[in-house]
Amino acid sequence: MFQNRTEGLALVLPAAVFIAVLFLFPVGILLSEGFKVGGEWSLAGYADFVSKPLNRTVFFRTLKLGFLVAFVSAIIGYATAFCIVNLEPAQRGRVFGLIILPLMISPVARTYAWIVILGRTGIVNKAIVGMGLSDSPIRFLFTETAVFIGLLQLFMPLMIVSLISAMENLPKDAIPAARVLGASWLQVFTKVILPLTREGLVLGGTLVFTGALTAYITPAILGGSKVLMLETLLYQRVNVSNDYVSAGIIATILIVMCFGANVVLRRVAKA
Amino acid sequence: MKYLLPVCAGLMLASTSTFAKDKLTISVYSFAQDAYKEALYDPFEEICDCDLVIETGNSVERMAKIEANAAKPVIDMAVISSHDALALARKGLLQTLDTSKLSSFNDLYEAAKNPLGDNTAVGYTFYASSIVYRSDLVDIKSWADLLKPEVAGRVSLPNITGTQGPLTLHMLNQALGHKGIDFTKTIDAVAENADNIVTFYSRSSELAQLMQQEEVIAAPLGRFAWSRFSGSDLPFKWAEPAEGQTGGMNVMLMTKGNGNEELAYKFMDYWLSTEVQTRIAMAKIDSPANMKVEVPADVADSLTYGAELINSLNMISPADIIDNRDAWVEQWNNKVIK
Amino acid sequence: MGQTWASRLIIFTTLLFLVGPFIIIIFAGLSAGSSLAFPPDGLSLKWYLAVFEVESFRQSFVLSMFLAVGGTLTALVIGVPAAYAICRYNIPGAETIKIIVAAPIIVPGIIVGLALLRYLVVPLEFTVTLALFLAHTALVLPYAVRVVSASLQNLRTDIEEAAVLLGCNRLQAFTKVILPNIRSGILAAFILGFVTSFNQVPVSLFLSGPGVRTLPIDMLAYMEITYDPSVAALSALLAFLSIGIVFIAEKTLGFSRYV
Repeated sequence: MFQNRTEGLALVLPAAVFIAVLFLFPVGILLSEGFKVGGEWSLAGYADFVSKPLNRTVFFRTLKLGFLVAFVSAIIGYATAFCIVNLEPAQRGRVFGLIILPLMISPVARTYAWIVILGRTGIVNKAIVGMGLSDSPIRFLFTETAVFIGLLQLFMPLMIVSLISAMENLPKDAIPAARVLGASWLQVFTKVILPLTREGLVLGGTLVFTGALTAYITPAILGGSKVLMLETLLYQRVNVSNDYVSAGIIATILIVMCFGANVVLRRVAKA
Repeated sequence: MKYLLPVCAGLMLASTSTFAKDKLTISVYSFAQDAYKEALYDPFEEICDCDLVIETGNSVERMAKIEANAAKPVIDMAVISSHDALALARKGLLQTLDTSKLSSFNDLYEAAKNPLGDNTAVGYTFYASSIVYRSDLVDIKSWADLLKPEVAGRVSLPNITGTQGPLTLHMLNQALGHKGIDFTKTIDAVAENADNIVTFYSRSSELAQLMQQEEVIAAPLGRFAWSRFSGSDLPFKWAEPAEGQTGGMNVMLMTKGNGNEELAYKFMDYWLSTEVQTRIAMAKIDSPANMKVEVPADVADSLTYGAELINSLNMISPADIIDNRDAWVEQWNNKVIK
Repeated sequence: MGQTWASRLIIFTTLLFLVGPFIIIIFAGLSAGSSLAFPPDGLSLKWYLAVFEVESFRQSFVLSMFLAVGGTLTALVIGVPAAYAICRYNIPGAETIKIIVAAPIIVPGIIVGLALLRYLVVPLEFTVTLALFLAHTALVLPYAVRVVSASLQNLRTDIEEAAVLLGCNRLQAFTKVILPNIRSGILAAFILGFVTSFNQVPVSLFLSGPGVRTLPIDMLAYMEITYDPSVAALSALLAFLSIGIVFIAEKTLGFSRYV
């Protein structure tokens, strides 16, 4: 550790100033617009925003989908990560590569595929009708289900990767030891795996939750105007109505939610 | 690392090297850009020895952008719907046009000459709007058929914020037996039916894909997008509802203080000329506003062509739309998509 | 044995869900028909070739490359000293500085784009390209700082102290001793930044002007015009590009250690 503080500050300052001036400052002004009505400081914008049923519906839908996507990713993520960690090293590398592969692909492309897959004549519906699960094709597109599926595919790799690195740190003999001592698999999970991988779960959960909240492409393409989320609502308010008060409010809500998730989950991880 | 810097510098140069020629920035609808390029943009660039910079999008989003940039216009010339143009004109964002600089002005249909009443816009195309549907699966005889059980779960309506939205409400309103432009009851009826509507589309390309993959079998549509459907192997049909067809006019305008008036007039004049209007009509994109344009019967059939048809359209005035749009959107948001 | 079988099934199902759509995109782009469908109507390479004919794709590809390369390099130029300072110096207000530098990860991109458009481009007459460049740099900066910090932390501090004792000044110690040792960390940060920037959508959603669009935004705009399979073909090509870069990086420096 070097003690020369001025030298250290001089090195870190360009980055900090760059972000503060060119990034945080404009964002700050945008957020402040939500607290202004007709140039005067006021909370009337917020009151008005909350009074509209559409805004409330969109807020709760965004929250719900964020939680749901994080929760389901965690369940599938644990199962998958557990299986991957137990593979032989060579295979493990290959599977790991395939898991992170979607992260390298443009979200436009990833979402676009679901239009074809989930459509009336898409393969999912062909399979459902073919297997006799339903007489007629099921409507997926422009439903919350479609947005959920799209978001899950988009963000689950982040959860799996976080869980894999957490599980790699599990003591090799912890699970066999618990089994020998008579623990059921459920007990192994709740008493051994869960406590020891909590930090990975929290990190993955934060990434998935904030990712789902702030995704734009997926709700725009798979949800459309019937299944608005906060991001698509913000886009619409600005682009159709030049409504910067609503934009400032939605932006504040999103940042508070993301930041809140970060802080709260970090506390949970340390507790 | 060593050679990344030169590559980066090279890319920077490549992206800024086109400064030599005059530049006209236009804002247009996003459909049929290939056809416009051939019929309008390329020949014009040759004549004026200038570059066209083209922004595309739907009418209302481009209008909002013009408004947001009002202090320092980015767009010189735009084509949008007549009511969005009126909204801009009322905010004082449009340049009053000197129609003597448009040599084909006197060849235009009367309705196209001064649609906003203050010479800030000129109509360049008319379009009918009706319902496109799968004739093998359903029959559409009235605008009210959009809400009937046969199409439940497979019908799409245009979003209220777009151009086609208010037109659809206007016709539905009549079909449901309501008078005037109070759409409250019609919006209630749509709200009751909301679960049966696949989506509220905002772009005709989106609708075309949905109908091509059989997600949707009936939806209101502007005639300008009909060529997306008429060429398909699926049996799409253009409805002639009992209440008639609706429609509208798109107009061209100039932003106030754009500083590029000369070139903008040249471009508008060229677009309105009989030569270009004929070429665009023959490509079956935009129907002419220039009366001198003559096209064969089969082409006329896919357009909104001729005084008789244009006069028969059950239109809604731009002022009515602008005066009421906010209230409709509010009702729509509260009842239909909440 | 039964357990292995079950575990393979779980991995296979997850991978099918994650990678399957990508395979479908590849095939949808191979369609001989004119609309997006899977299975495709016949096979043809025409849409893969058509991608190169679209002029706006070429322009937006150049812009996206410029932003991804230029933005990431700039982020490294200011990010590497910052990472070094955070790891090696006892700076006042370190926690605050760390939060500031990490902020672009937490603030949703769509808000950044809108804020920059509204308060830099419009009133200060920044060009859209400059605003995009600043936004992409800011976006990549936290990753640059994080990845480089991680590789600095793995480096023993005594080697540069040794260099200083042996007569190097601090700058020489940094360039001759530190930099070569964290080279692969820097390259990993570059690749991560490049991929992040290149695929970035929300930031660029509002930051576009006539003729100035990043490639993903241009693809969205193209989809507004038509849903033909060329977007699928382009998506597949870009994915191969990203995968290629990451694959080479993985083979040469074990990239996944840094992600």
